[in-house]
Amino acid sequence: MKKNQFAVIGLGTFGYSVAVELAKKGIQVLAVDNNNETVNRISQFVTQALIADATDEKAMEDAGVADCDSVIISIGGNIETSILAILIVKEFGVKNVIVKSSSRWHSKVAAKLGVDTVVYPEFEMAKKLVDNIVMPNILEQIELSKDYNLVEVVAPKEIWGKTIKNSNIRNNYGVNIIAIRKHVPIINDDGQSDIKEEINMMPGSDDEIGRNDILVVIGSEKSVAKLRG
Amino acid sequence: MSSIDMEDIVSSEADHIELGKFYFLNNKYDEAVSEFKKVLEINPGNAEAYYNIGLIKESSNLMNEAKEMYSKALAVKPDYKIVRDRLNKLIGIEN
Repeated sequence: MKKNQFAVIGLGTFGYSVAVELAKKGIQVLAVDNNNETVNRISQFVTQALIADATDEKAMEDAGVADCDSVIISIGGNIETSILAILIVKEFGVKNVIVKSSSRWHSKVAAKLGVDTVVYPEFEMAKKLVDNIVMPNILEQIELSKDYNLVEVVAPKEIWGKTIKNSNIRNNYGVNIIAIRKHVPIINDDGQSDIKEEINMMPGSDDEIGRNDILVVIGSEKSVAKLRG
Repeated sequence: MSSIDMEDIVSSEADHIELGKFYFLNNKYDEAVSEFKKVLEINPGNAEAYYNIGLIKESSNLMNEAKEMYSKALAVKPDYKIVRDRLNKLIGIEN
C-alpha cells in the first residue's frame, strides 16, 4: 500500500463500516480480518481485502500494513488480540494509530501504548442517547472544551420572528449563533409534499429567526441550558 | 351577493388535500393540519393526509408525533416509499 492510505484491522460491524465509508470517500483502504467470509464480502468496496491474523507480525507486514499512514484497529471482542495488534503496528512506526476500545481498561492500555486516538463508540453513543432523552430540544452536541459546546438547539419561542440583533441572544443567553437550519416545505418532482433543509451559515445580525428554526450555537453548558428552557 | 364560503367550495377529500398542501407550502401549519384532519374525517384511511401531518410535525421539530403519523400512513399503505424513507431517517436507519 502507498502512503496516505488507511488500513482497517478487524472487520466487525464498526471496522467494516469505517472501511466502507472511507472507501466511499475515495480513500485507499486495506481491510484485514481473519474471517474469510467477511473479507470476501468487503472486497468489492475497498482497494484491497486480505485474510490475515492481526497478531502475526509477518502476516501484517506482508499485507502492507507497515506502509500505511493510518491504521484503525477495530478488534473489540478480544482485548489481548487488540493489544498485540497495537504493539505490532506501533513497532512498524505507523504515524497515526486509531483504536476502537471496548472498555475503559482497554482505552487505558491503548493510551499507554502510545496510540494517537482511542474511540469508545458504545460509551459515546450511550452518552449521546441519554442527552437526547433528557434534553429533547438539544439535537446535536459537540464538546469543544471542558466548558464550551457546539450545540444544535430548537429556537425558543420567545425569539421567533425576531432578527438576531433584536433577539439579543448573546446578552440574554450568552451564546453565539453560527448557523440557522430550517425545514422548508416543497412539492417534489412527483407532486408530493416534502421538506428540504436549508442552512444559513454565519447568519447576519439582520437575519430573522423563524418559527421552528434550529440554531447552531456555541456557548457554555450553562448558557445552552438556559437557551433550551 | 352572498360571500363565498370556502367550505362550500372545498368539500371533497382531494380538495382538502390540495388546500392543505397549499397552506403547508405557505408555512400556515395550523390551517394545513386542519385541512388534513378534515380529509381523515371523510376518509380515515387516507395515507397522504397522515403523511402530510407527519411532515408538518417534523417541520415543527415534534419528532415523536411525526413518527406516529408516518407509522399511521404506512399502516394504511405499506409501500408508501417517501414515508418509509422519512420514518427510517427519523428512527436513525439509513435508507
